[in-house]
Amino acid sequence: MSLLQLEHVSKCYGRVSERVALRDVSLRMEPGEMVVVWGMRRSGRSTLLRIASGVETPDAGVVRFEGRDLYARHGERLGDGIGYCRRTFASSEGQLVLDHLIIGLLARGLALPQAAGRARAALERVGIGYCAALRPAQLDCAEAVRAAIARALTFAPKLLLIDEPTIGVDLLARDGILTLLRSLAQEGIAILASTGESPSLSGGRALMLSEGELHGGRPRELATVVPLRRSA
Amino acid sequence: MSARPVVVDKRPGRGANPMQSAVHWALLGLVIERPSYGYELAQRFEHAYAGMLQLSGVSYVYTALDTLQYRSMIEEIPGTRTGRQPKPRYRATSEGVRSYQERLIAQMHEDLRRSRLFARQLAAFAQEPEMALDVIERYGQACLEEAGETPVLASADGGASPASGLASRLVSEERRLALEARLPWIDYARREFKALAAGRMQP
Repeated sequence: MSLLQLEHVSKCYGRVSERVALRDVSLRMEPGEMVVVWGMRRSGRSTLLRIASGVETPDAGVVRFEGRDLYARHGERLGDGIGYCRRTFASSEGQLVLDHLIIGLLARGLALPQAAGRARAALERVGIGYCAALRPAQLDCAEAVRAAIARALTFAPKLLLIDEPTIGVDLLARDGILTLLRSLAQEGIAILASTGESPSLSGGRALMLSEGELHGGRPRELATVVPLRRSA
Repeated sequence: MSARPVVVDKRPGRGANPMQSAVHWALLGLVIERPSYGYELAQRFEHAYAGMLQLSGVSYVYTALDTLQYRSMIEEIPGTRTGRQPKPRYRATSEGVRSYQERLIAQMHEDLRRSRLFARQLAAFAQEPEMALDVIERYGQACLEEAGETPVLASADGGASPASGLASRLVSEERRLALEARLPWIDYARREFKALAAGRMQP
Protein backbone atom coordinates (compact mmCIF):
# COMPACT_ATOMS: atom_id res chain seq x y z
CA MET A 1 0.00 0.00 0.00
CA SER A 2 1.44 3.35 -1.06
CA LEU A 3 1.29 6.41 1.15
CA LEU A 4 -0.27 8.48 -1.62
CA GLN A 5 -1.87 7.11 -4.70
CA LEU A 6 -3.53 9.05 -7.50
CA GLU A 7 -5.38 6.92 -10.02
CA HIS A 8 -6.49 8.38 -13.33
CA VAL A 9 -7.18 11.78 -11.86
CA SER A 10 -8.64 14.46 -14.12
CA LYS A 11 -9.69 18.02 -13.44
CA CYS A 12 -11.15 20.75 -15.63
CA TYR A 13 -11.88 24.40 -14.93
CA GLY A 14 -14.27 26.86 -16.52
CA ARG A 15 -17.74 26.53 -17.96
CA VAL A 16 -17.55 28.40 -21.24
CA SER A 17 -14.03 27.55 -22.42
CA GLU A 18 -13.13 24.45 -20.49
CA ARG A 19 -9.47 24.19 -19.55
CA VAL A 20 -8.04 20.80 -18.71
CA ALA A 21 -5.79 21.16 -15.65
CA LEU A 22 -5.10 17.45 -15.13
CA ARG A 23 -5.66 14.66 -17.59
CA ASP A 24 -5.65 11.03 -16.46
CA VAL A 25 -2.84 11.52 -13.95
CA SER A 26 -1.60 8.54 -11.96
CA LEU A 27 1.11 8.77 -9.32
CA ARG A 28 2.28 6.71 -6.36
CA MET A 29 4.42 7.92 -3.49
CA GLU A 30 6.03 5.98 -0.69
CA PRO A 31 7.07 7.22 2.77
CA GLY A 32 10.36 9.12 2.67
CA GLU A 33 10.17 9.71 -1.06
CA MET A 34 10.73 13.14 -2.59
CA VAL A 35 8.93 13.82 -5.84
CA VAL A 36 9.30 17.12 -7.66
CA VAL A 37 6.96 17.95 -10.52
CA TRP A 38 8.21 20.44 -13.07
CA GLY A 39 5.83 22.31 -15.32
CA MET A 40 5.32 25.56 -17.16
CA ARG A 41 2.71 28.03 -15.95
CA ARG A 42 -0.83 26.65 -16.24
CA SER A 43 0.52 23.14 -16.72
CA GLY A 44 -1.59 21.89 -13.81
CA ARG A 45 1.16 21.55 -11.21
CA SER A 46 -0.63 23.57 -8.49
CA THR A 47 -3.87 21.74 -9.17
CA LEU A 48 -2.03 18.46 -8.72
CA LEU A 49 -0.84 19.52 -5.27
CA ARG A 50 -4.24 20.82 -4.20
CA ILE A 51 -5.91 17.59 -5.24
CA ALA A 52 -3.22 15.46 -3.60
CA SER A 53 -3.73 17.42 -0.39
CA GLY A 54 -7.49 17.06 -0.37
CA VAL A 55 -8.07 20.81 -0.72
CA GLU A 56 -9.68 20.30 -4.10
CA THR A 57 -11.77 17.44 -5.49
CA PRO A 58 -10.96 15.84 -8.83
CA ASP A 59 -13.60 15.56 -11.55
CA ALA A 60 -12.60 11.96 -12.14
CA GLY A 61 -10.26 9.43 -10.60
CA VAL A 62 -9.36 8.46 -7.07
CA VAL A 63 -6.87 9.86 -4.55
CA ARG A 64 -5.87 7.50 -1.74
CA PHE A 65 -3.87 8.45 1.32
CA GLU A 66 -2.68 5.47 3.35
CA GLY A 67 -5.06 3.35 1.32
CA ARG A 68 -8.16 5.38 2.11
CA ASP A 69 -10.07 7.48 -0.39
CA LEU A 70 -9.16 11.06 0.48
CA TYR A 71 -12.56 12.40 -0.50
CA ALA A 72 -14.49 9.82 1.47
CA ARG A 73 -12.86 10.93 4.75
CA HIS A 74 -15.99 12.56 6.10
CA GLY A 75 -15.31 14.79 9.07
CA GLU A 76 -11.55 14.20 9.04
CA ARG A 77 -9.17 17.11 8.86
CA LEU A 78 -6.60 17.83 6.20
CA GLY A 79 -3.84 18.11 8.76
CA ASP A 80 -4.19 14.45 9.71
CA GLY A 81 -1.10 13.17 7.99
CA ILE A 82 -0.99 15.68 5.15
CA GLY A 83 0.75 19.02 5.47
CA TYR A 84 0.24 21.70 2.84
CA CYS A 85 2.75 24.55 2.95
CA ARG A 86 1.14 27.92 2.49
CA ARG A 87 3.60 30.77 2.02
CA THR A 88 1.10 33.46 2.97
CA PHE A 89 0.66 34.57 6.56
CA ALA A 90 -2.72 36.19 7.19
CA SER A 91 -2.53 39.05 9.67
CA SER A 92 -5.66 37.72 11.35
CA GLU A 93 -3.69 34.66 12.48
CA GLY A 94 -1.22 36.56 14.59
CA GLN A 95 1.51 39.15 14.58
CA LEU A 96 4.67 37.13 15.04
CA VAL A 97 5.94 34.12 13.14
CA LEU A 98 5.57 32.02 16.28
CA ASP A 99 1.91 33.08 16.59
CA HIS A 100 1.22 31.79 13.09
CA LEU A 101 2.57 28.38 14.02
CA ILE A 102 0.79 28.24 17.36
CA ILE A 103 -2.70 29.21 16.28
CA GLY A 104 -3.38 26.07 14.29
CA LEU A 105 -2.27 23.91 17.21
CA LEU A 106 -4.47 25.84 19.64
CA ALA A 107 -7.40 25.29 17.30
CA ARG A 108 -6.79 21.58 17.68
CA GLY A 109 -7.02 21.75 21.40
CA LEU A 110 -3.38 21.88 22.42
CA ALA A 111 -2.58 23.92 25.52
CA LEU A 112 -0.53 27.05 24.90
CA PRO A 113 2.73 25.80 26.47
CA GLN A 114 2.67 22.60 24.42
CA ALA A 115 1.72 24.48 21.24
CA ALA A 116 4.49 27.03 21.77
CA GLY A 117 7.02 24.28 22.44
CA ARG A 118 6.06 22.39 19.32
CA ALA A 119 6.12 25.56 17.21
CA ARG A 120 9.57 26.54 18.46
CA ALA A 121 10.86 23.04 17.78
CA ALA A 122 9.53 23.20 14.21
CA LEU A 123 11.22 26.55 13.61
CA GLU A 124 14.49 25.15 14.97
CA ARG A 125 14.11 22.09 12.78
CA VAL A 126 13.93 24.18 9.62
CA GLY A 127 16.83 26.37 10.73
CA ILE A 128 15.05 29.63 11.57
CA GLY A 129 14.60 29.46 15.32
CA TYR A 130 15.83 33.05 15.40
CA CYS A 131 12.76 34.17 13.42
CA ALA A 132 10.18 33.22 16.07
CA ALA A 133 9.77 36.77 17.34
CA LEU A 134 9.85 38.43 13.91
CA ARG A 135 6.83 39.51 11.91
CA PRO A 136 6.23 37.57 8.66
CA ALA A 137 6.85 40.76 6.67
CA GLN A 138 10.37 40.89 8.12
CA LEU A 139 11.30 37.48 6.69
CA ASP A 140 13.27 37.20 3.49
CA CYS A 141 12.04 34.87 0.76
CA ALA A 142 13.96 31.81 1.94
CA GLU A 143 12.96 32.35 5.58
CA ALA A 144 9.31 32.67 4.55
CA VAL A 145 9.54 29.30 2.79
CA ARG A 146 11.15 27.73 5.85
CA ALA A 147 8.48 29.25 8.09
CA ALA A 148 5.78 27.79 5.84
CA ILE A 149 7.43 24.38 6.08
CA ALA A 150 7.71 24.75 9.86
CA ARG A 151 4.00 25.59 10.11
CA ALA A 152 3.15 22.40 8.23
CA LEU A 153 5.60 20.38 10.36
CA THR A 154 3.87 21.33 13.60
CA PHE A 155 1.16 18.82 12.65
CA ALA A 156 3.73 16.03 12.18
CA PRO A 157 2.69 15.21 8.62
CA LYS A 158 3.54 11.99 6.81
CA LEU A 159 3.16 13.79 3.50
CA LEU A 160 4.31 17.36 2.91
CA LEU A 161 3.11 19.28 -0.13
CA ILE A 162 4.83 22.45 -1.22
CA ASP A 163 4.17 24.60 -4.26
CA GLU A 164 7.25 26.23 -5.80
CA PRO A 165 9.51 26.05 -2.75
CA THR A 166 12.37 27.94 -4.38
CA ILE A 167 10.63 30.60 -6.41
CA GLY A 168 12.19 34.00 -5.73
CA VAL A 169 14.90 32.42 -3.59
CA ASP A 170 18.53 33.17 -4.45
CA LEU A 171 20.94 30.47 -5.57
CA LEU A 172 22.61 29.58 -2.28
CA ALA A 173 19.40 29.76 -0.26
CA ARG A 174 17.72 27.57 -2.89
CA ASP A 175 20.15 24.74 -2.25
CA GLY A 176 19.59 25.14 1.47
CA ILE A 177 15.84 24.67 1.05
CA LEU A 178 16.31 21.65 -1.21
CA THR A 179 18.67 20.15 1.34
CA LEU A 180 16.09 20.75 4.07
CA LEU A 181 13.38 19.01 2.04
CA ARG A 182 15.75 16.12 1.35
CA SER A 183 16.54 15.78 5.03
CA LEU A 184 12.83 15.72 5.89
CA ALA A 185 12.37 12.97 3.32
CA GLN A 186 15.24 11.04 4.89
CA GLU A 187 13.37 11.25 8.18
CA GLY A 188 10.47 9.46 6.51
CA ILE A 189 8.24 12.35 5.43
CA ALA A 190 7.15 12.04 1.81
CA ILE A 191 7.62 15.33 -0.06
CA LEU A 192 5.61 16.31 -3.11
CA ALA A 193 6.78 19.63 -4.55
CA SER A 194 5.99 21.51 -7.72
CA THR A 195 8.36 23.82 -9.53
CA GLY A 196 8.83 25.84 -12.65
CA GLU A 197 12.59 25.89 -12.14
CA SER A 198 14.46 22.80 -13.19
CA PRO A 199 17.34 23.28 -10.69
CA SER A 200 14.79 22.50 -7.98
CA LEU A 201 14.43 18.99 -9.37
CA SER A 202 17.80 18.03 -7.87
CA GLY A 203 17.86 15.14 -5.50
CA GLY A 204 14.35 13.83 -5.99
CA ARG A 205 12.23 11.82 -8.40
CA ALA A 206 11.62 14.32 -11.16
CA LEU A 207 8.40 14.36 -13.17
CA MET A 208 7.01 16.74 -15.75
CA LEU A 209 3.49 18.08 -16.23
CA SER A 210 2.61 19.22 -19.70
CA GLU A 211 -0.92 20.37 -20.55
CA GLY A 212 -2.23 18.42 -17.59
CA GLU A 213 -0.47 15.18 -18.52
CA LEU A 214 2.17 13.73 -16.21
CA HIS A 215 5.39 12.55 -17.86
CA GLY A 216 8.52 11.00 -16.51
CA GLY A 217 7.49 7.49 -15.63
CA ARG A 218 8.84 4.64 -17.67
CA PRO A 219 8.20 5.53 -21.33
CA ARG A 220 5.98 3.21 -23.29
CA GLU A 221 7.71 0.69 -25.52
CA LEU A 222 8.50 1.80 -29.02
CA ALA A 223 6.23 0.21 -31.55
CA THR A 224 8.04 -2.63 -33.28
CA VAL A 225 6.25 -2.10 -36.55
CA VAL A 226 5.36 1.44 -37.44
CA PRO A 227 3.49 1.82 -40.68
CA LEU A 228 4.83 4.93 -42.35
CA ARG A 229 2.26 7.22 -43.84
CA ARG A 230 3.68 8.81 -46.89
CA SER A 231 1.79 11.05 -49.25
CA ALA A 232 2.11 9.96 -52.78
CA MET B 1 42.94 42.95 -52.02
CA SER B 2 45.37 40.07 -51.86
CA ALA B 3 44.28 36.71 -50.50
CA ARG B 4 45.39 35.87 -47.01
CA PRO B 5 48.31 33.42 -47.17
CA VAL B 6 47.59 29.94 -45.87
CA VAL B 7 49.82 29.21 -42.93
CA VAL B 8 50.45 25.58 -42.17
CA ASP B 9 51.30 25.12 -38.55
CA LYS B 10 53.73 22.23 -38.31
CA ARG B 11 54.15 22.29 -34.57
CA PRO B 12 53.21 19.04 -32.85
CA GLY B 13 49.61 18.98 -31.71
CA ARG B 14 48.51 21.59 -34.25
CA GLY B 15 47.86 21.79 -37.95
CA ALA B 16 46.35 19.01 -39.99
CA ASN B 17 46.30 16.30 -37.35
CA PRO B 18 44.44 17.63 -34.32
CA MET B 19 44.11 15.44 -31.26
CA GLN B 20 40.64 13.88 -31.24
CA SER B 21 40.56 11.70 -28.14
CA ALA B 22 38.32 13.16 -25.43
CA VAL B 23 40.28 11.10 -22.88
CA HIS B 24 43.56 12.70 -23.98
CA TRP B 25 42.07 16.18 -23.62
CA ALA B 26 40.63 15.31 -20.23
CA LEU B 27 44.02 14.05 -19.05
CA LEU B 28 45.64 17.23 -20.32
CA GLY B 29 43.10 19.20 -18.28
CA LEU B 30 43.99 17.24 -15.16
CA VAL B 31 47.70 17.96 -15.70
CA ILE B 32 46.84 21.66 -16.14
CA GLU B 33 44.93 21.55 -12.84
CA ARG B 34 47.85 20.00 -11.03
CA PRO B 35 51.10 18.27 -12.10
CA SER B 36 50.81 14.52 -11.52
CA TYR B 37 52.42 11.16 -12.26
CA GLY B 38 50.76 8.39 -14.26
CA TYR B 39 48.97 6.32 -11.64
CA GLU B 40 47.81 9.39 -9.74
CA LEU B 41 46.37 10.76 -12.97
CA ALA B 42 44.44 7.55 -13.54
CA GLN B 43 42.92 7.85 -10.07
CA ARG B 44 42.09 11.52 -10.51
CA PHE B 45 40.56 10.74 -13.90
CA GLU B 46 38.23 8.09 -12.43
CA HIS B 47 37.10 10.56 -9.77
CA ALA B 48 36.75 13.64 -11.97
CA TYR B 49 35.11 12.10 -15.01
CA ALA B 50 32.95 9.38 -13.46
CA GLY B 51 29.89 8.90 -15.62
CA MET B 52 31.30 11.08 -18.39
CA LEU B 53 34.45 9.40 -19.73
CA GLN B 54 36.00 6.01 -19.12
CA LEU B 55 39.59 4.79 -19.26
CA SER B 56 40.11 1.47 -20.99
CA GLY B 57 42.76 0.72 -18.36
CA VAL B 58 45.39 2.39 -16.21
CA SER B 59 48.04 1.62 -18.81
CA TYR B 60 46.16 3.80 -21.27
CA VAL B 61 47.19 6.82 -19.21
CA TYR B 62 50.83 6.15 -20.04
CA THR B 63 50.02 5.91 -23.75
CA ALA B 64 48.13 9.20 -23.51
CA LEU B 65 50.99 10.85 -21.62
CA ASP B 66 53.39 9.78 -24.38
CA THR B 67 51.09 11.34 -26.97
CA LEU B 68 50.70 14.58 -25.00
CA GLN B 69 54.45 14.77 -24.53
CA TYR B 70 55.08 14.07 -28.22
CA ARG B 71 52.72 16.92 -29.08
CA SER B 72 54.62 19.23 -26.68
CA MET B 73 51.49 19.75 -24.59
CA ILE B 74 53.08 18.42 -21.42
CA GLU B 75 56.61 17.97 -20.19
CA GLU B 76 58.32 15.90 -17.54
CA ILE B 77 59.29 17.88 -14.47
CA PRO B 78 63.09 17.56 -14.15
CA GLY B 79 64.30 15.64 -11.14
CA THR B 80 61.10 13.63 -10.53
CA ARG B 81 62.40 10.41 -12.11
CA THR B 82 64.36 9.33 -9.05
CA GLY B 83 64.34 6.57 -6.43
CA ARG B 84 63.72 2.83 -6.71
CA GLN B 85 60.31 3.33 -8.25
CA PRO B 86 60.63 6.50 -10.29
CA LYS B 87 57.40 8.40 -10.70
CA PRO B 88 58.00 11.05 -13.33
CA ARG B 89 55.60 13.93 -12.84
CA TYR B 90 54.24 15.89 -15.74
CA ARG B 91 53.21 19.52 -16.07
CA ALA B 92 51.48 21.35 -18.88
CA THR B 93 53.44 23.48 -21.30
CA SER B 94 52.17 26.90 -22.40
CA GLU B 95 51.46 25.21 -25.73
CA GLY B 96 49.33 22.62 -23.93
CA VAL B 97 47.37 25.25 -21.99
CA ARG B 98 46.66 27.25 -25.15
CA SER B 99 45.60 24.14 -27.09
CA TYR B 100 43.31 23.13 -24.24
CA GLN B 101 41.67 26.55 -24.26
CA GLU B 102 41.14 26.36 -28.03
CA ARG B 103 39.70 22.88 -27.65
CA LEU B 104 37.13 24.12 -25.11
CA ILE B 105 36.04 26.93 -27.42
CA ALA B 106 35.68 24.53 -30.35
CA GLN B 107 33.78 22.05 -28.18
CA MET B 108 31.36 24.76 -27.09
CA HIS B 109 30.49 25.49 -30.73
CA GLU B 110 30.15 21.75 -31.38
CA ASP B 111 27.71 21.35 -28.48
CA LEU B 112 25.55 24.20 -29.76
CA ARG B 113 25.64 22.75 -33.26
CA ARG B 114 24.64 19.32 -31.93
CA SER B 115 21.58 20.78 -30.20
CA ARG B 116 20.47 22.49 -33.40
CA LEU B 117 21.10 19.29 -35.32
CA PHE B 118 18.88 17.28 -32.95
CA ALA B 119 16.05 19.78 -33.33
CA ARG B 120 16.37 19.78 -37.10
CA GLN B 121 16.49 16.00 -37.31
CA LEU B 122 13.42 15.67 -35.11
CA ALA B 123 11.53 17.83 -37.58
CA ALA B 124 11.91 15.00 -40.10
CA PHE B 125 9.00 13.35 -38.25
CA ALA B 126 6.54 16.07 -39.28
CA GLN B 127 4.57 13.41 -41.15
CA GLU B 128 4.99 10.86 -38.33
CA PRO B 129 4.32 12.92 -35.19
CA GLU B 130 3.74 9.87 -32.97
CA MET B 131 7.31 8.76 -33.60
CA ALA B 132 8.59 12.21 -32.73
CA LEU B 133 6.53 12.11 -29.54
CA ASP B 134 8.21 8.81 -28.61
CA VAL B 135 11.63 10.44 -29.05
CA ILE B 136 10.54 13.50 -27.05
CA GLU B 137 9.20 11.27 -24.28
CA ARG B 138 12.57 9.56 -23.96
CA TYR B 139 14.46 12.83 -24.18
CA GLY B 140 12.27 14.22 -21.41
CA GLN B 141 12.79 11.10 -19.32
CA ALA B 142 16.58 11.36 -19.72
CA CYS B 143 16.51 15.04 -18.75
CA LEU B 144 14.35 14.38 -15.69
CA GLU B 145 16.62 11.55 -14.56
CA GLU B 146 19.62 13.82 -15.01
CA ALA B 147 17.85 16.56 -13.03
CA GLY B 148 16.99 14.21 -10.20
CA GLU B 149 20.54 12.88 -10.00
CA THR B 150 22.15 16.31 -9.85
CA PRO B 151 23.43 16.75 -6.31
CA VAL B 152 21.98 19.43 -4.10
CA LEU B 153 24.18 21.97 -2.37
CA ALA B 154 26.93 22.01 -4.95
CA SER B 155 26.65 25.78 -5.30
CA ALA B 156 26.80 26.31 -1.55
CA ASP B 157 29.71 23.95 -1.07
CA GLY B 158 32.36 26.62 -0.99
CA GLY B 159 35.11 24.58 0.62
CA ALA B 160 38.32 25.96 2.01
CA SER B 161 39.22 28.10 -0.99
CA PRO B 162 37.40 29.48 -4.04
CA ALA B 163 39.00 26.74 -6.16
CA SER B 164 37.99 24.00 -3.77
CA GLY B 165 35.05 22.08 -5.20
CA LEU B 166 35.03 24.38 -8.23
CA ALA B 167 34.77 21.53 -10.74
CA SER B 168 31.78 19.92 -9.03
CA ARG B 169 30.04 23.29 -8.62
CA LEU B 170 30.56 24.19 -12.28
CA VAL B 171 29.42 20.77 -13.52
CA SER B 172 26.39 20.80 -11.23
CA GLU B 173 25.22 24.28 -12.21
CA GLU B 174 25.86 23.59 -15.89
CA ARG B 175 23.61 20.52 -15.69
CA ARG B 176 20.91 22.35 -13.81
CA LEU B 177 20.88 25.46 -16.00
CA ALA B 178 21.07 23.48 -19.25
CA LEU B 179 17.96 21.62 -18.08
CA GLU B 180 16.36 24.96 -17.32
CA ALA B 181 16.36 25.53 -21.07
CA ARG B 182 15.75 21.97 -22.23
CA LEU B 183 12.61 21.19 -20.26
CA PRO B 184 10.61 24.13 -21.68
CA TRP B 185 11.87 23.16 -25.15
CA ILE B 186 10.66 19.58 -24.63
CA ASP B 187 7.30 20.94 -23.48
CA TYR B 188 7.14 23.13 -26.57
CA ALA B 189 8.17 20.37 -28.99
CA ARG B 190 5.62 18.01 -27.46
CA ARG B 191 2.87 20.58 -28.05
CA GLU B 192 3.95 21.07 -31.65
CA PHE B 193 3.90 17.37 -32.48
CA LYS B 194 0.70 16.74 -30.52
CA ALA B 195 -0.96 19.45 -32.57
CA LEU B 196 0.29 17.78 -35.75
CA ALA B 197 -0.97 14.40 -34.56
CA ALA B 198 -4.36 15.87 -33.61
CA GLY B 199 -4.65 17.62 -36.98
CA ARG B 200 -4.00 14.39 -38.83
CA MET B 201 -6.63 12.52 -36.84
CA GLN B 202 -9.33 14.95 -37.93
CA PRO B 203 -11.30 13.80 -40.99
